[in-house]
Amino acid sequence: MTATENPPTYTWVGTRPIRHDGYDKVTGKARFAADLDLPGQLRAVYVRSPHAHARIVSINTAAAEAMPGVKAVVTGADFPDLGAADPEYDVSVNVMARDTVYYHGHAVAAVAATSRELAADAAAAIVVEYEELPAVFTIDDAMADGAPLVNETNFTKFVKADEPSNLSTITNLERGEVDDAFAAADLVVEREFTTAAVHQGYIEPHACVVDTGADGRASVWCSSQGHFRVRSSTAAVLGWDVSRVKVTPAEIGGGFGGKTTIYIEPVAARLSEMAGRPVKIVMTRDEVFRATGPAPASKVRVKVGATNDGELTALEAWMAYNVGAFGNVAGLVGAMSVASYKFPNLKLEAYSVLSNLPKSAAYRSPSAPHAAFAIESVVDEIAQKLDIDPIELRLKNAAVEGDVTAMGMPHPRIGFVECLEAVRESEHYQSPVPDGAARGIAAGFWFNIGEQSSATVHVNEDGTATVITGSPDIGGSRASMALMAAEELGLDVNSITPLVADTESVGFTDTTEGSRTTFATGMAVVQACRDLIDDMRSRAATTLSVDVGEVIWADGAAVAEGHDPVPLASIAAQSKRTGGPLTASASLNAAGAGPSFAVHCGDLAVDEETGHTKVLRYTAAQDAGTAIHPSYVEGQLQGGSVQGIGWALNEEYVLNDDGSLDNASFLDYRIPVASDLPMIETIIVEVPNPSHPYGVRGVGETGIVPPMATIANAISRAAGIRMTALPMSPPHVLTALNER
Amino acid sequence: MNRTHVNCTVNGDDVDFLAADGISLLDALRDELGLTGSKEGCGTGDCGACSILIDGKLNCSCLVLAPEAEGAEIVTVEGIADGDHLHPLQQTFLEGAALQCGICTPGFLVAAKALLDTNPDPTETEIRYALAGNLCRCTGYDKIIRSVQEAAVQLREVAK
Amino acid sequence: MTDHRRFTDGEAVIEVDGATVGAVIAELERRYPGLGEALTEGSSAGINGEIHAEPEFVAVAPDTDIYFVAPLAGG
Repeated sequence: MTATENPPTYTWVGTRPIRHDGYDKVTGKARFAADLDLPGQLRAVYVRSPHAHARIVSINTAAAEAMPGVKAVVTGADFPDLGAADPEYDVSVNVMARDTVYYHGHAVAAVAATSRELAADAAAAIVVEYEELPAVFTIDDAMADGAPLVNETNFTKFVKADEPSNLSTITNLERGEVDDAFAAADLVVEREFTTAAVHQGYIEPHACVVDTGADGRASVWCSSQGHFRVRSSTAAVLGWDVSRVKVTPAEIGGGFGGKTTIYIEPVAARLSEMAGRPVKIVMTRDEVFRATGPAPASKVRVKVGATNDGELTALEAWMAYNVGAFGNVAGLVGAMSVASYKFPNLKLEAYSVLSNLPKSAAYRSPSAPHAAFAIESVVDEIAQKLDIDPIELRLKNAAVEGDVTAMGMPHPRIGFVECLEAVRESEHYQSPVPDGAARGIAAGFWFNIGEQSSATVHVNEDGTATVITGSPDIGGSRASMALMAAEELGLDVNSITPLVADTESVGFTDTTEGSRTTFATGMAVVQACRDLIDDMRSRAATTLSVDVGEVIWADGAAVAEGHDPVPLASIAAQSKRTGGPLTASASLNAAGAGPSFAVHCGDLAVDEETGHTKVLRYTAAQDAGTAIHPSYVEGQLQGGSVQGIGWALNEEYVLNDDGSLDNASFLDYRIPVASDLPMIETIIVEVPNPSHPYGVRGVGETGIVPPMATIANAISRAAGIRMTALPMSPPHVLTALNER
Repeated sequence: MNRTHVNCTVNGDDVDFLAADGISLLDALRDELGLTGSKEGCGTGDCGACSILIDGKLNCSCLVLAPEAEGAEIVTVEGIADGDHLHPLQQTFLEGAALQCGICTPGFLVAAKALLDTNPDPTETEIRYALAGNLCRCTGYDKIIRSVQEAAVQLREVAK
Repeated sequence: MTDHRRFTDGEAVIEVDGATVGAVIAELERRYPGLGEALTEGSSAGINGEIHAEPEFVAVAPDTDIYFVAPLAGG
């Protein structure tokens, strides 16, 4: 279903063609990074820390270097010390430990050999002597007075900090007078919530092949959401100029934020440089869980005041995010993500807290799910206590254009109210709750971002077009680029070939993240197409001997009054006579990203004997602005919802006392499987973003924000228990049922 | 190093390869035969990205030692189309947008084929349980299930 | 952004002259030492309802509201 406000009529935008890259993906031909092999290629294997925090006393690689097939060994000594002030310093130390390991699984050394097996044998022969240091793993322990320092190079950001600290950011946001508002409130609800660390869980482990040539230049093929960032970070970690690194993006097997940073490319590049041969690194799943991602664990206290008629008058929240062993702005972003309700009085205190755990990474709407789980749970409890419909309560307080977010900036045109109304009017919400089940509602917000994008469009001599961008396609964005180009040029979408080019074949483009690709890269594609159209109008004016001002572009042809339309294919065929090849490029730093809201509705049943929660029906509504390819917009809503359902019900990092991960496999870290779920119904709300030529907001992020509270709110109504800790797995639900 | 000479058929072709001790059939398919359509997501049989058919039965090829393929008929994702004519599952996956990143898609296609080969008219629940050994992190499974349902309808029409 | 009011004796809204965001930041730094540097670290701004990344050279008019916000990324 699509709820559209004054829909414009488009020929291609909003249709559902088969994605261009789909054929290779259903026949097994698509080339992911691990599928590439180069002649003479070596395989590399890591040595990783068995301690959560330790000083490296010595590393002896002599025995390993003498073993059969071993061609190169690297340790931290093979990488430059960038200095703690360098913006890439943390990445460089995370890629390979220097004199200290900061978490269990931290890379200490790597071996390149003629086979993976020989490399593994040699890695096992490397002797590392450690001196263990005190370690902390929880927010409470890391924030306690006298807590051991996690990372001596971490200073609190944005303040003049003289001493290293376990706090990366401290944020205070305030408006109004919360104390007065709580005193005047008819009802105040206050609760504390915790969430476990969760992994992005992309099915493709990190992989790369790097060939460093005798000229000192490295060619990198890798799985990444942003190959320009791979280029700059890899160069920085190696101490190289950026221009020494060329990165070609392979097909990417999922990222969800987890592939916006680097782990392996500089290691492969250095090994390749030392060995004079290409080096391939493919992480094991165990390594992915232990040494990449995850999203932070959190602890959030929320206090909300309301009047008896359901006006939410005040919000006070204390938030802490466990960001792992390196600095991170998760707490700041979590506070900024508080943007859904008017709350005339608001006071937020947020912390990014270091611990001796892996460096946390972005995961779909990073930091927003933690805050929303807490706030949406308390808001729902207020609706329950006041006996107000949960959608009506939210509608009464929903932010609209001009209302300010926690950071003080007024919202532009947003579609939160429209999402709430769409769920309220849905067949799902209008239908009775099934016997033995209960229904939950929750909302979510994410900013979306703009940033830099480039596109080049060629009109080929046969009247087709090639659209080249620098945005790795993680969810169908090539199809979106082709659709927007088809709409602009008036070409059949199947006459357009959308490609993602390497770092030397297209202009600089920021990472695919923050739901920015269809928005910002789409703007660059549209601009390049419009420049091409101007050129083609001019070419047609030449052949028709009319003034270019008399030529318009309509339905894929140059049209001048009194003349037959000159179709694009004809202009293309004559291009040599009219000035040469038809090509245009556009680059921009896109302003005006449109925030996206989502509202979810879930029916579930709780098995009171086992504590198992079964989701029976689930609907996700989200404001897409405009859905360029509705099938892939639905796919983003469905995928985000199910990741959130997994976060809600099952997924968690289970840590041993020594800080090692106890469940580093898909068997024990259980993401949702098909039999856990119902169909995920979607409602695409379309409140166009006025800053985009087609009204795009971006849809990748927000879908993961509402599910945790949606599930918790439904469990509360099903079983009379208010779950405040994630995951709401059977043992935890059973405990709560028994304490009821 | 000991290497075992293995003869089998893969996607209808007679093939042979040398398997080093301890390597999985997945590694042999990818590294010895160049069939990289089967993916390694975990190496422990938990994700299903390496799903293949061995004598018609669904297997995680990462859990099969390469010499176990001796004499077997193996089908991988590269072998489920009929020449240039896509299998109905491949076509419905494309039309139904049942893939986003595509890394799990080969495994899902093979697992879904294994299901429909033996149960041409499965219920939604049967499909969900038959595919429960295949992990997808992008789609939430909805469009995969619907595409399998649609392919089942098309295959039953053809069979009439 | 984060607690900038510590630079401004508690004022959250300040009127400043300047033709670009960068000029406004320079004037704020002159009047409230330390604030300009803090705002440059938080390198995005909401200007007339649109978020701009690294906005130093974005033109502003006398009635423009500028909201300094932290740089954002996403997943």
